[in-house]
Amino acid sequence: MTFRLTCPVCGKRDVYEFTFGGQERGPRPEQEGLSAEEHFRWTQFRLIPNEPQEEWWYHGQGCGVWFKAKRDPGTNREMR
Amino acid sequence: MTGYAGDTVASALYGAGVRIFGRSLKYHRPRGLYSMEGESANTFMSIDGVPNECAETTELRAGMAVAPQNVHGDPRSDRFGFLSAFDRLMPAGFYYHLFHRPQFLWPVFQSGLRRMAGTGVLDPLREYGGGVRSERYLNADVAVVGGGSAGMAAALAAGESGLRVCLFERRDRLGGHLAWRVRELEGEPLYRRAEALAAQVQAAENVKVFTSSPAIGVWGENLVTGFTVGTEDDPFRECHWECRARTVVIAAGCMDRPLVFNHNDRPGVMQVGTAWRLARSYGVRPGKSVAFSVADDLGLEAAIDLDDLGVRVRFIADARESGQQGAAVFEALCDRAIPLFPGCAVSRAVGRKRVRGCVLRSLKGGRSRRFRCDLLVANAGMQPRIGTLATANARFEYCTHTHGYQPTDLPPGVFVAGSMTGLRDPRSIEASGRVAGYGAAERCGGRPGNVARAGNRVMGEGQSGSPGRGSVSPSRASRAVEAARQEAKALPGPPPGCGVIHAPAIGRGAKAFVDLDEDGTYKNVKESIARGLDVPELAKRFAGFGLGPGQYRVAGQNLAMIMADLRGDPVEKARATTVRPPLAAPSIATLAGPGHDVHKRTPLHAEQAARGAVFRRAGPWQRARHFGDDPSCRDEILSVRTNVGVLDSSPLGKFRIHGPDALQALQRVYISDMSKARPGYCKYSAMCNDMGQLMDDGVVVIEGRNDYYFTTSSARAGATVEWFRFHTRHDGWDYNLVNLTDVLGSLNIAGPNARRVLERLTGDNVSNEAFPYLACRRITVGDGVEARCLRLGFVGELSFELHAPASCVPYLWDLVMEAGADFGIRPFGLEAQNCLRAEKGHVIIGTESEQRVTLTDIGMGWMWDREDTVSKKVGAPALRACVGQTGRLKLVGLRVEEGAKAPLDGTLVVDGDKIVGYVCTTRSSETLGWQYGLALVHKEHAFPGRRIHLCHEETPGERVTSTAFVMSPHFYDPRGQRLRR
Amino acid sequence: MSWLRPRRLWHPAPLKRHYEVVIIGGGIHGLATAYYLARTHGIRDVAVLESHYIGFGGSGRNTAIVRANQRTAENVRLYDEGLKLWAVLTDELDFNLMFFNCGTLNLGHSEAAMNGIRMLASTHNLLEVKSEVLDPQQCAEVIPGLDISDRPAFPIHGGLYHPPGGIVRHDAVVWGLAKGASAHGVHIHQGCEVRGIDTRDGRVTGVRTSQGAIGCKRLGIMAGGYGSAVAAMLGIELPIHPLTIQAMVTHPLKPFLHHVFSSGAYHVYANQTLKGEIATGAHMDPQVNYTTDATAYYLKHQAEALGELMPALRGVRFMRIWSGLADMTPDMAPIMEGELGYEGLYLDAGWGYFGFKSGPVAGKYMAEYMSTGQRPDILRAFQLKRFLEGRYSGETASVMKYGHWD
Repeated sequence: MTFRLTCPVCGKRDVYEFTFGGQERGPRPEQEGLSAEEHFRWTQFRLIPNEPQEEWWYHGQGCGVWFKAKRDPGTNREMR
Repeated sequence: MTGYAGDTVASALYGAGVRIFGRSLKYHRPRGLYSMEGESANTFMSIDGVPNECAETTELRAGMAVAPQNVHGDPRSDRFGFLSAFDRLMPAGFYYHLFHRPQFLWPVFQSGLRRMAGTGVLDPLREYGGGVRSERYLNADVAVVGGGSAGMAAALAAGESGLRVCLFERRDRLGGHLAWRVRELEGEPLYRRAEALAAQVQAAENVKVFTSSPAIGVWGENLVTGFTVGTEDDPFRECHWECRARTVVIAAGCMDRPLVFNHNDRPGVMQVGTAWRLARSYGVRPGKSVAFSVADDLGLEAAIDLDDLGVRVRFIADARESGQQGAAVFEALCDRAIPLFPGCAVSRAVGRKRVRGCVLRSLKGGRSRRFRCDLLVANAGMQPRIGTLATANARFEYCTHTHGYQPTDLPPGVFVAGSMTGLRDPRSIEASGRVAGYGAAERCGGRPGNVARAGNRVMGEGQSGSPGRGSVSPSRASRAVEAARQEAKALPGPPPGCGVIHAPAIGRGAKAFVDLDEDGTYKNVKESIARGLDVPELAKRFAGFGLGPGQYRVAGQNLAMIMADLRGDPVEKARATTVRPPLAAPSIATLAGPGHDVHKRTPLHAEQAARGAVFRRAGPWQRARHFGDDPSCRDEILSVRTNVGVLDSSPLGKFRIHGPDALQALQRVYISDMSKARPGYCKYSAMCNDMGQLMDDGVVVIEGRNDYYFTTSSARAGATVEWFRFHTRHDGWDYNLVNLTDVLGSLNIAGPNARRVLERLTGDNVSNEAFPYLACRRITVGDGVEARCLRLGFVGELSFELHAPASCVPYLWDLVMEAGADFGIRPFGLEAQNCLRAEKGHVIIGTESEQRVTLTDIGMGWMWDREDTVSKKVGAPALRACVGQTGRLKLVGLRVEEGAKAPLDGTLVVDGDKIVGYVCTTRSSETLGWQYGLALVHKEHAFPGRRIHLCHEETPGERVTSTAFVMSPHFYDPRGQRLRR
Repeated sequence: MSWLRPRRLWHPAPLKRHYEVVIIGGGIHGLATAYYLARTHGIRDVAVLESHYIGFGGSGRNTAIVRANQRTAENVRLYDEGLKLWAVLTDELDFNLMFFNCGTLNLGHSEAAMNGIRMLASTHNLLEVKSEVLDPQQCAEVIPGLDISDRPAFPIHGGLYHPPGGIVRHDAVVWGLAKGASAHGVHIHQGCEVRGIDTRDGRVTGVRTSQGAIGCKRLGIMAGGYGSAVAAMLGIELPIHPLTIQAMVTHPLKPFLHHVFSSGAYHVYANQTLKGEIATGAHMDPQVNYTTDATAYYLKHQAEALGELMPALRGVRFMRIWSGLADMTPDMAPIMEGELGYEGLYLDAGWGYFGFKSGPVAGKYMAEYMSTGQRPDILRAFQLKRFLEGRYSGETASVMKYGHWD
């Protein structure tokens, strides 16, 4: 569905102006002592229940900012 | 055939006496003019050779060529008409149970089925969709869908606040069903009221009216799209529009709910509106003698009006027992001696190729009566056109009062008005529009109740970003809205609708159609249930209800009601199938729009074109693949190897990063230790993704304190800022990143004579001692153009890359060409570069790398700073995990043994019948004197000296095999001496 | 004359409180698994739970293209066996799945794409799956009307013609498998939504549904695009992203497009259905999604692409657009796994947009896996652990950007 996202710089814009950056999963883990499995889990494995989630978006056709938005993948509504 | 201005193809054909417009899909039954809005495929025709054009909605133009479709012979006597007699052999989904045994015969049946299916004929070699197709992107505060009285009232009410309003109407004129009604209300005929409203709407400066503009759908957050069919005055044939609205008022009106009775598809059976509009809007007499089987007051009004126009009304059957509004109707019927049969409906149409009579029965059963007539106007009352609302994601429930689907919740900013809410009184309909218009305006922060001031246009939300603007207090605004609500409340509400499910005595050997397009009958619904496909969505798919061009419209509500009835469920349990966009079918030509290829040209495009460049798309760019007519680029390659060539490398990604945390950012995304970059020198490195796969490579140069210049591959230039910022998004680092790719152009002078050419352009010292390999300096070229000069060696020869402002690059090119003329300098393109770099063993990302290989797998692991865990380098943990794993692919060089047939890019590496890798790039090299290859090969085979087998088979049975020896991929000048001279 | 006497394709059954095997998802994968469990492995105490109606998800929303022209040998073998099953099942189920063996043409729009196509053809032919590299002229002979001139933004450089491919009536597969499964005693429960999964001591013990708790010894998650959401009930993270993929059909036309064609550069595939519509689709939005909403953006994109590739289509109108879910893995190959940390729990997911063509063959081997507890050899390439070791199947050449599917 053609929904819109609120860019913190530019305001509400059509979703097609943005790049999806995936779920928010915190800062990069420390690499000292990080096992291969831990690393690959962190990079690729996700829990995706049909519930609102925090995620990253990049305003590529606008100001070029990465920002966090909360969106419900079951309705595509942005939660604010 | 002739017609009048404003005629549609259908009205003109009907006026000319045409009654059979086409043949049905499955049974080839004759079909006539049932609707006026393209609600079925009955009147789909070939118009000017374009298939599937709807005669009902296509405006008549001089010189049109109109031909019937899906007809074998003449539509009046179709050769396949006999199929109808075999319907007992073709129950719903019959093909699933037939034709598959014996299996070898299935393709024969299948081909027959295919030929019978489909309607229009498209010539794949012809070009369609001529005329100008334009596009418009609108922003509105309020978009109104539907230009009937409710829609117009809504537009006017919303417009009072000075808001921007767009009104979209599918027909070529405003007014909805008022446009053809002569009934008087408060001393004025209804069509006059419609005209008055239309005049006001047209005059309102901030209301933009789009007629002949059906909506395709309402998408997320009130994006309304549709298209406008141009008139002769428009600069376009059709125009696709998208309107981003803050609010939407949907006033889409109603359409007939078809009465399901035996032979209800015969030519001469039509909707109330069809007969009425033929007479009133198009001046065509729909018939001589008409029978009405209707279920609401509009049907009674139509009958009386047609009678007044000289069409003899034989009788009116009203499926309702009671509930007719007002004594005036009964009086009018008495005056005209039109018999009214309440609680009755037509149960059968008589006549094959056209209606010659009908059978009337009480809904309670009992005896039947036969009448003669040549026109049968039939419906089961009206149903709301829920399509627009449905695409906006509203949910619906069956309303047992109006007997139609009503929204249970409206999406944010969506308002509904008019007859689709069940209202029938024209005053109520208009008032509901006003309420909706004010509501929408209020939501936009408008000032309902105030008259618009000229020029006081309010910008859309996207521009101003401030909802609730305006200085008027909400209470004042609300008062106007409240007044409108009170006014609406005082007017008559929705009258009871009719819940009749189908006519009496249904079936009994005759067909009663629920869906016209795919010949879905009442019996087919029963059969679906008998198969266990007992919900509308499954029956829809099994027997084809609402899958044809009419989609939901004709079949939707009836299918749900019939299904509920047959299952024994109460009617309110009837769950309709999903209405899907497009609500009006747009042509691909119109959707595609004017169509222009968007690409980028380098600053040297014209210069290269003048020298015979052959351009190819490379990402967003048009780049020179080669010059002249030799695709193998032999001379371009030789010129670089033995003399000097010049390459337009402008698409190369070029960036500046500066700020206190610039180095940290570089350390994060580059796999090498970037603190080892030296001033005045290029540091070559690569970026990986988190899986350790190669994403990009390039050089980094220190420009100053916390200030770096770096390059990326052309393909990654557009994603680099995003990439840096993504991988540092949690860190809060302070750095600035500027994309200079388009600001700077670049050209690469390469070959043993490169320095001698460069020396002629600059006074700066570019000798090997002053300007060694990998150095990066600023030099002044020609008349004082300052350029960054990078001494690199991607192609394996002495080379200087000049980066300068894009506007200066053509000047540099001319200088280089002039200076190089004495040497015989040649421009070279991407293919020559590809061969030159491959001979050198330099990889191209995506050619010698893919998802199965990491940086270390392709021999670039030397870049990786294995000690660094502090920078949290992107990809480092994956590289650590994969190093030493067995079974991985590795990049190797190949020396192909001479044989009958050479391998090609994409040739497989095989071990017996096992695939163990593939050749990424291979060329026969004049420089080397043999054919080399770069290949990804399983580790077990990836050691120098191993003889491996290659094979490709582009055509089954034509296998080409060869052999090769594995070697280092650095075929040419493996020690890099030529780069350092 | 059996087609004249409508009989139920499958039979309603009472909802028991316990089954040997419960399968979540009444699509092609779930029904096929149930069918093979009952028919081949004699496990008849099986329930298929479907939250809506059978075939509600991807099984009823795909564009029905079947083929075996995958990139790697492991995948080609699996899909090739899948392709051969259509005829077998049509006979076995006594239900016409309407396999139209028309062949597919995959267009290449650059030299690099043609190199990839050459590799594909060689891989297929080596494995005795027919494929052929065509030049642009040959492409236009196979599909008259393709624009092989230099006019398109991405001119056609050639194509991969794959004769064994074609289209199958997708709904028929659902109904046929339901018929077959039911005939072997499988219970199919529609409108039964799974809301939780019960485990005890590291074993799966049952599911909680909208119709109450149901016990089981073995549980198969075969919920297509909803697989991630079901796995999330047990807190199982997966390298799967459910994305919305859209498709549409035009008004019906007499047959003129006799093969499936597709184009990576234009994100388009198209074929003409048995009913004459041009069914087309392929693009998807990259954000995680459980909605099945269509977009105006995409309708336009598709028109632009089709109009360039085959200009005659400019004269055709779209009449319906819809969407479904694709469960994308980073390497575009599926996950068929029985080692998920709970005994008795099996997962068949991550098929992306290849879930239709693989349905029956996946069901066949998942049934073997679930009945014996031993992973069949052909499924070795589709283990979950490959993602934890940084080993990708190579089913696509492209690399992921951010780890999620993009």
